[in-house]
Amino acid sequence: MAATMSAISAKAAGGYRTAPALVSWKGSRAQGRSLISMAAAPRSLRLVSLRTPRFRVYAAKAETVNKVMEIVKQQLALGAEAAAAVTPESKFTDLGADSLDTVEIVMALEEEFNITVEEDNAQNITTIQEAADLIDKLVA
Amino acid sequence: MASRPKLSGIQKQVLALYRGFLRTAHLKSPEERRRIESVVSAEFRDNARNVDRRNFVYIEYLLRRGKRQLEQLKNPDITGLATLEVKK
Repeated sequence: MAATMSAISAKAAGGYRTAPALVSWKGSRAQGRSLISMAAAPRSLRLVSLRTPRFRVYAAKAETVNKVMEIVKQQLALGAEAAAAVTPESKFTDLGADSLDTVEIVMALEEEFNITVEEDNAQNITTIQEAADLIDKLVA
Repeated sequence: MASRPKLSGIQKQVLALYRGFLRTAHLKSPEERRRIESVVSAEFRDNARNVDRRNFVYIEYLLRRGKRQLEQLKNPDITGLATLEVKK
């Protein structure tokens, strides 16, 4: 997802017209909706509100994602080769964690980043990317 | 996005209790904290494996017991918990 995000932002910088109502790439939210100009035809002000999860531009920072990955690897005690297979999209359950492990991971993240995660939010975290997004949202 | 199966109410209670224990463990001394975490995690995992997930009565009993233990643990005068193995 990071790759597509940087591709899109490169395009946005490269001269497509973006309307002033658009959200900045830093992940600030305009009324909780992310508007992204797809600019299918250049220079057209076609604003498409994409509510599909792939375009949730909370723009989790790369270092946050890395820290999360480190903590996950540590908590799940992954061996060297399993650790290499970890990507931001990996689900915790794919990495061999059960729900108790997930709770432990969320607690470790709370401690590391000094945040408190709500009960409901914690239930919804399934991938590393989601965890990083939530963290950035709470830390910002 | 919610690719994991929806957790049932009782599962959520179990996880909430587990989270409560971990949070309370934060408040104790670091060495005690490690002991609490290992005891609690071992017990939860054992029960998860051994108790039939349809045995609601037993699970609810365990939940009540766990909540009571957690309340006791939260008391600042309590310094830790320990378990004993009883040889049959």
